[in-house]
Amino acid sequence: MTNRLPWWMGGILMSGLLLLTFSIYGADRPIGASTYVPYFAGLIFDLDPEKYVYLKEIKNPGAWEGIMLLGVLFGGFITSVFITKSFRFSLIPSGWKTYKNSSVVSRLLWSFFAGFIMIIGARLAGGCTSGHFMSGMSQLAISSMVFGTVVMISLLITGKFFYNTKDK
Amino acid sequence: MADVVFMTEESNSTIIDRTFQMVESVIHQPHGSVALVFLIGVIFGGIIQYTRVDKFEKIAGFSMLKDTIIPKMLFLTIGITSIALYFMIDAGQAHYHVKPIILQGLIIGGILFGSAMAILGKCPGTGPVSIAEGRIDVLVGAIGGLFGGLVFTLYYDDFFKPLMGESLGKTILPDFFKGNEDITALVFGVLVIIIAIAIPKRELFDEADLSQLPDDQRPDKK
Repeated sequence: MTNRLPWWMGGILMSGLLLLTFSIYGADRPIGASTYVPYFAGLIFDLDPEKYVYLKEIKNPGAWEGIMLLGVLFGGFITSVFITKSFRFSLIPSGWKTYKNSSVVSRLLWSFFAGFIMIIGARLAGGCTSGHFMSGMSQLAISSMVFGTVVMISLLITGKFFYNTKDK
Repeated sequence: MADVVFMTEESNSTIIDRTFQMVESVIHQPHGSVALVFLIGVIFGGIIQYTRVDKFEKIAGFSMLKDTIIPKMLFLTIGITSIALYFMIDAGQAHYHVKPIILQGLIIGGILFGSAMAILGKCPGTGPVSIAEGRIDVLVGAIGGLFGGLVFTLYYDDFFKPLMGESLGKTILPDFFKGNEDITALVFGVLVIIIAIAIPKRELFDEADLSQLPDDQRPDKK
């Protein structure tokens, strides 16, 4: 298959990127991808960063991840248009139709709800798949191993009961 | 909320001002130039897109145990990085940025995050890549996320901060094996790589993607 990298190549490339980001010649910090969300929420809803303790706490990492996010959007867009050729507008994934239902309204409502609790969850734990799971476990951090284990269990239990996988 | 709907010229310029402040903040941080941080994002997005791990069928598929590409790639990344990073830190080429053990926050947050990941089929890192390839449902999820970030910020002091509990420190695995720190890091990394390879490979494909490919390149027909 020409327009897709195998998982092991992805793992090796991602390791290289993480090491570059961690190294003092790179950014001297881990990759994170959930602090930018409350940061942008503060921006969009026009919350005064001096008034809210949390916005003050995330001022620097939020800005860093904000710039990185712009790069992610750009890199994802360019790759999807020119390499994987997967760019298309869509409202509902094929897998949702197969294993859940074919209602666009259902998909959008669940997406909104899931997005909402995802960010609450990530901020409670202090990180997400990138910051905690990937960057944290790479530093042998116990906190990230606890988070990773809980996420895996919760993901698998939810998947088992949320989708209809029988006979399919 | 009202000031969002009726956005005035003034609040508009505030957003622009604050976007400039974001760039300025990164310039003043000792964490790489704006160009480097942007480039890290581009490569991150490129790898996620090129390996297709942002797809609903990968993350939600893993939650149904119908696809194992996510754990294989994730564990391989962690295994390789943990070994290399441990020795880089030892040599002074990098530093630890360990997150604190806040048990309640980690467990409650992990439960919420894991079930949200199964339902949305994305995480905060892969979501933007899906939005960049035109997935409107994920954009709606991101708007949900912005409201989540808003609620978290508004009720941080009164509700969320106490809910997270006290920090039990920033312990790392080698702290439990004093005297054998190097071996611990090495064994952990090798074990995680073995797990990544040992997880049986299963894939759930998306017909909408497959139909774009010529028949002899379809991975489901090989």
